Amino acid sequence: MVSIPPVLLIAFPLFFAFLAPLINMVSKKAVKPYTLFVLLLNSLFAILLFLEVQSNSVVYEQLSGFYPPIGILLSVGYIGAILAVVINVLAMVVYISYFGDVENSVKFSMIYMLVTASSTGIVITGDLFNMFVFFEITAVGSYGLVASMRTKKAFEGAFKYIVLGSVGSSFILLGIATIYGYLKTLNFYDIAARINTMPETARLMAFIFLLIGIGVEAEIFPLNGWVPDAYEGSSNRVASFLSLGPSKAGIYAIIRLLFTLVPIMSGFTLALILGIFTLVIGELAALKQKDVKRMLAYSSIGQMGLILIAISMHSKFAFIAAVFLMVSHALAKSLLFLGTRNYDAGTLKNPWIAGPIFIGVLSIIGMPPFPGFWGKWYLMLNLAAEGLWSIILIVVFAAVVEGVYYARFLFKGTGSDARSITKSEVAAIFLLAIMLVLIGIFPQYLYTPAVKAAASLLGGGP
Amino acid sequence: MTYELLQPVFVISMALIAIGLYGVMSKKNILKIILSIGIMDTGVNILIVAMGYIPGGTAPIENGNYPVYMDPVPQALVLTAIVIGVSVTALALAVAMGYYRKTGTLELDDEGVMKW
Amino acid sequence: MRKIVAAIISITVFVILTYFFITSSAPINYTTGGQYINPITHEHSNQSVPQQYLKDSKKDTGASNVVTAIVVEYRGFDTLGEVTVLFTAATGIALLLDELKRRNVPHDEPNFIVKVGSIVVLPFIVVVGTYIFIHGHLTPGGGFPGGAVIASGFLLLLLVHTNRGLPERKLSVTESIAGMTYALIGLLGLVFAHEFLENYLPLGTFTYLFSAGIIPLIYIAIGFKVGSELGGILHNLKGVHEE
Repeated sequence: MVSIPPVLLIAFPLFFAFLAPLINMVSKKAVKPYTLFVLLLNSLFAILLFLEVQSNSVVYEQLSGFYPPIGILLSVGYIGAILAVVINVLAMVVYISYFGDVENSVKFSMIYMLVTASSTGIVITGDLFNMFVFFEITAVGSYGLVASMRTKKAFEGAFKYIVLGSVGSSFILLGIATIYGYLKTLNFYDIAARINTMPETARLMAFIFLLIGIGVEAEIFPLNGWVPDAYEGSSNRVASFLSLGPSKAGIYAIIRLLFTLVPIMSGFTLALILGIFTLVIGELAALKQKDVKRMLAYSSIGQMGLILIAISMHSKFAFIAAVFLMVSHALAKSLLFLGTRNYDAGTLKNPWIAGPIFIGVLSIIGMPPFPGFWGKWYLMLNLAAEGLWSIILIVVFAAVVEGVYYARFLFKGTGSDARSITKSEVAAIFLLAIMLVLIGIFPQYLYTPAVKAAASLLGGGP
Repeated sequence: MTYELLQPVFVISMALIAIGLYGVMSKKNILKIILSIGIMDTGVNILIVAMGYIPGGTAPIENGNYPVYMDPVPQALVLTAIVIGVSVTALALAVAMGYYRKTGTLELDDEGVMKW
Repeated sequence: MRKIVAAIISITVFVILTYFFITSSAPINYTTGGQYINPITHEHSNQSVPQQYLKDSKKDTGASNVVTAIVVEYRGFDTLGEVTVLFTAATGIALLLDELKRRNVPHDEPNFIVKVGSIVVLPFIVVVGTYIFIHGHLTPGGGFPGGAVIASGFLLLLLVHTNRGLPERKLSVTESIAGMTYALIGLLGLVFAHEFLENYLPLGTFTYLFSAGIIPLIYIAIGFKVGSELGGILHNLKGVHEE
């Protein structure tokens, strides 16, 4: 089997994004097929990388030819490989929906490629500062994508995102400065090996700084003020892309922070509390919304809270649940954002659109046999086994609220975008729905890597 | 040796961060918010550079006869952080221009600022 | 009301952070703290990372400026990302402001001193900027400051010619080619050496201009890229069509 250096997942799309303006000068029509080709190539790399991780359990790459922590290390474990595949393949599928659209800007496609590459970078890097740099590429690109509709709402949402994002990045830098001040290193596993030499308060402060910074991107309460505005202001396809790429990368960073970087018990407790707040507030706010996109955005916040609860249980089954919930959320939310471009109750009569939307909703509210169901099922089993009945009550309550507003949305909702849905968008939502059904029917193909990811993370590895 | 020498630097950088935070949270004018973000960035950058301070050290450029150099890593990190700050500021200004063209004002709506 | 809440929050943050950093017991000397562990082989080192850089950078990279050695060689991947952040921002700005550009801007004559001064100063600005990024491995500076200096020359042009923009297409082509050069230099490392961005050129004589392997090449690419990118950003923010 060919072995792919993980760096190609980042270097190739960067190179092709730099090349794109020249392609545009030669032929404007070639830009979209070109971008799709780049994303396809990256998806293939991601899948090859996943296969390599399955045979080696972890792939390291020492960049610039220096051993870590002198040089930057890329380290891909199971969870990184799963998310790299999810981000790249779904980014490609969502990009399909751009074909046949009048909007034809090379700059948009360039930013799309760059954000895909940098989200992938976050999940495969093994260096704290490198992760910060990729966070910034993701954030700056997302600001541009959100504002790309050029309406008042778009600029407002983007500006709010910029403000929170920059405050967050300042806090990430504070965290990096704290850790560097004590340990003089930036490599994840070197930090992990020596974090216990730091005093208790310093560890806690570093954890809080990094959590604040990452929490902006991962849509955690109380740092998610930008989410509804940014999603409402952006086009449906951008919202769809944001919910599959940057937010997944943010959750991955939280996993890294909790399990590898600063594995302190108070950190898990804090994450659990924040997760519960995020879940309850997100779902209750979603119940109030009339606009479909805003409702979906708040529902995203709720899902992020649920994922955070699952991660912070610090147990194998709960982590498997988190993996399923992440995949379900990436697939179903991008499907719903794409599918509800021109949604009203009348759309339900069109089976080509209603079918996939129905599947997406079922997966999100956790009906069998979709991945969302498996996620919630494993989470419930774990919570019950640990006797955490109060959390079960909260999760069930949130699920009921979710069911109520999704039912209302299916039968009464109205979309915010006046244009009608195109054929390529139907193709994209169909592909997403097929993936949801396949993962739901054959959960073992995700279950096995998820088990290994959990085992590796709980053992302190990548 | 501890951080005693650096204490004034820490106070200054934290003050800049706090001023920036205050500006971000209290101002409604987009340009003032962008300035506040810049102030905050500066505070953080000062802190990182201070992390690499070595008493009696000199700039880490080899000239053969000086024994003590500053820690070069924070300087390299700050170089990156500054460029990132510039990029974000530039993009924020572009968004501000777009907002101004659409609304004719640089003040955010009351509901637009703190709608959580 | 909002101002009071904001004041309370920021004062609290100030007090907590100041207290934390002032009382922190982190070692001020990199020789006493942080003996690193190689995470793959689990070998312990008796040195810290910055010590290793200061000791080995001459041997490893041939650059006399250790910060440059770290920025371009040891942590070169960060710098590729950094260039990309700037590129993403420039692209985003162009995406947002393309529609808003105007053909006819109100035309004020610039100040006489600015007009004449620009003709005198501009060549020097370009020369200084080029000098800074070519000598990045020997002196303080490098691709980013050098590019920024050249962009200040562009800014001067925009100030003098009030109703004109910059040649956008040429800047964009420069930017693309410089970016691709950087990525290619890195990818060639996979071919000629083992790793991305690994040095594969001779290190040359220490402290001479032609030394330090790929570092000067990368810094020249970055200099061109940053100069054209910042120029493009200024052009877009001015909001005038070229010509």
